[in-house]
Amino acid sequence: MRREVKDKILQALTYIASALSVFVLGAIIVYLVINGLSLINTHLLTSNYYPQTANSGVKADYVYSEMGDYSGNGHYSKKWGIAVEDIVTSHNDEEISVTYIDPNSPFAHMESLVAGQEGQDSSLEVGSNIQNIYYTDENGETVFLSKVQMGDAENLVARLDEAEGIVSCNFESLGGGIRGSIVTTLYLIVISLIISLPIGIASAIYLHEYANKSKINRLIRQGIDTLTGVPSIVYGLMGVAVLFPVTQLFGATSTSILLGGLTLAIILLPTIISSTEEALIVVPQSLRDGSLSLGATKSQTIFKVVLPCAVNGILTGVLLGIGRVIGESAALVYTTSTVISDFPTIMSQGTSLSLMIWSIMSGEQPNYELASAISLIILIIVFVINFVVKIIGKRLARSFM
Amino acid sequence: MLIDKKRVKRNKSLDKFFHGFFMAMAILSASFIVIIVLFVFTKGISPFLPGYEYGQVNLFDFLTGSTYRQDQGVYGVGFIIINTLVCSFLALLISFPISILTALFIAKVAPKKLGNTMQSIVELLASVPSVVYGVFASGVITVGVRMIAESLGISTFGGSSMLAVIILLAIMIFPTLTSMATTAIRAVDKDLEQASLALGATKTQTNFKIVLTAAKSGIFAGAILGLGRAFGEATAVAMVAGNKLFGPTFNPFDITRTLTSTMLVGLKETTGLDYDIRFSVGLVLIAVIFFSNFILNMVKKRIGRNL
Repeated sequence: MRREVKDKILQALTYIASALSVFVLGAIIVYLVINGLSLINTHLLTSNYYPQTANSGVKADYVYSEMGDYSGNGHYSKKWGIAVEDIVTSHNDEEISVTYIDPNSPFAHMESLVAGQEGQDSSLEVGSNIQNIYYTDENGETVFLSKVQMGDAENLVARLDEAEGIVSCNFESLGGGIRGSIVTTLYLIVISLIISLPIGIASAIYLHEYANKSKINRLIRQGIDTLTGVPSIVYGLMGVAVLFPVTQLFGATSTSILLGGLTLAIILLPTIISSTEEALIVVPQSLRDGSLSLGATKSQTIFKVVLPCAVNGILTGVLLGIGRVIGESAALVYTTSTVISDFPTIMSQGTSLSLMIWSIMSGEQPNYELASAISLIILIIVFVINFVVKIIGKRLARSFM
Repeated sequence: MLIDKKRVKRNKSLDKFFHGFFMAMAILSASFIVIIVLFVFTKGISPFLPGYEYGQVNLFDFLTGSTYRQDQGVYGVGFIIINTLVCSFLALLISFPISILTALFIAKVAPKKLGNTMQSIVELLASVPSVVYGVFASGVITVGVRMIAESLGISTFGGSSMLAVIILLAIMIFPTLTSMATTAIRAVDKDLEQASLALGATKTQTNFKIVLTAAKSGIFAGAILGLGRAFGEATAVAMVAGNKLFGPTFNPFDITRTLTSTMLVGLKETTGLDYDIRFSVGLVLIAVIFFSNFILNMVKKRIGRNL
């Protein structure tokens, strides 16, 4: 009897321990969803991080039509389909901020007037701060409404209701977007995989197809295995110490996305090698023997018979690699800098999505909402990758049965 | 049939070329570990050598110092090493029993479907990137720590504390420990279990006394791996450590400073002593990981022998 009770308690303990880890995963997801989900929209994905001033005019083909009703924050001009309110920014500036724009509003059909960007869509967005407006009065003359003349939101709406047409306006866009970081992340993925894939696959082929059990080969394998245990921050140090001179050959003067990509390529090597090798192991020896006995050389056999069979394993390596690049942060702090860039190029500094989180969380005013939103995006991508890898793994296990 | 001799020759030389190419790539991959250690070593050791351009630092003071102040140019990492060891071992202490119980649950106790689901959950936890854990830690764990501290009448620095670091690390190394333990438990010989059952032991007794004992070598290997992860974990820890200027920290509600957080925080310029000294800290980190692995592997061998 006592034994039964003891067994039950021990068994219950295993259930509790498992429940605890489920709870942690749940807590992470719930926290990120509560804080970040409301921020995830097309604005976040497509706009710049830094607020920008824009000068936009109403498109020539815009035709006025009735605006809908609006009953939210701010003062609404039904005539022009725009609602505004007074706000004080974090820099203590008084601004007039847009809270709503009707889809039929002329403010929603604007194009940029800035030199070099003419004709690009540049409509007023919710959250933008209006700086000044040009409109036409009943005599058809253009009137300029400066920031001082606009006064407050209520006054601006009153003035707008007198107007006969909207010409153009200057505004400061909201910012807070992650487009630049998405582009940087893509750059990093491409650069690191281009370098890491050939080296990794070739190494895996050597280790599995060529290497006998000599001392040198054991040393090689041990070296590659040790790479897995190196903390990513040490890779970062190595990146600036070893690879920075390499990027200087391409004309880099500071840390750059190229440097980050090269560093990541080395970080990915163990992943690529092990997943390729796992796939090579599954390929039956009889296939190789068949090819060799038909007169093909060893390298022909590898390229035409073995590798096509191992393509799923390589794909797994690529996917895991992408996941690692998206999640990596410590190594990139040293190699791509923590300066968020809206227009990254390969030779410029920039932040990947993860690094952007680090950047906004380690600043003086951590932005939890934005960090959670980006985290949520990263988590979704990583989980999807995890899922796909699992499916490929199942198919791989079945492929030669 | 005619054999094209030229073609055979070309294929042969191509074959030789590829053999060499594959081997060169493998050697290149393996040599990176040497390159890493070599370069971090040369750069990390340079501030202690005479003739260092920003003023030589005393190696002994660096290794034993109990103050680290970038603003005053005082660099001592002795207390940081202790902090790192304390935080990592305590995290392991928390995570270890929970992960073993979870591994037992996955491999032995749970019905097959539930076990598989649980394993997937552990895999998901393993795939969560470090920064995401960091956001979670600074948004949730620190708040929890602050609430506990307030109920005890202790004031904290917004929840950033040694306790927060320990809890965070315990969560982060949990997937590593669990998956290694699961593999080890699954690899235990079925005969052993059946012998135990045949002698009249209950299933639970067998699981806890026979299976765990037989799997302890693998479980211990997981613990070593997990500890290595805890030492090297950077961004997430730096978000909640608080970066104390002196130490060591033994009060769980006080802020702390680990080797990795020291390397990350306040990184602005890419020249000068403050930058180079980070390589020295990195070198210390490599040494700490190396020596702890070495010692624990010896312990592991001894445990394995006593079986």
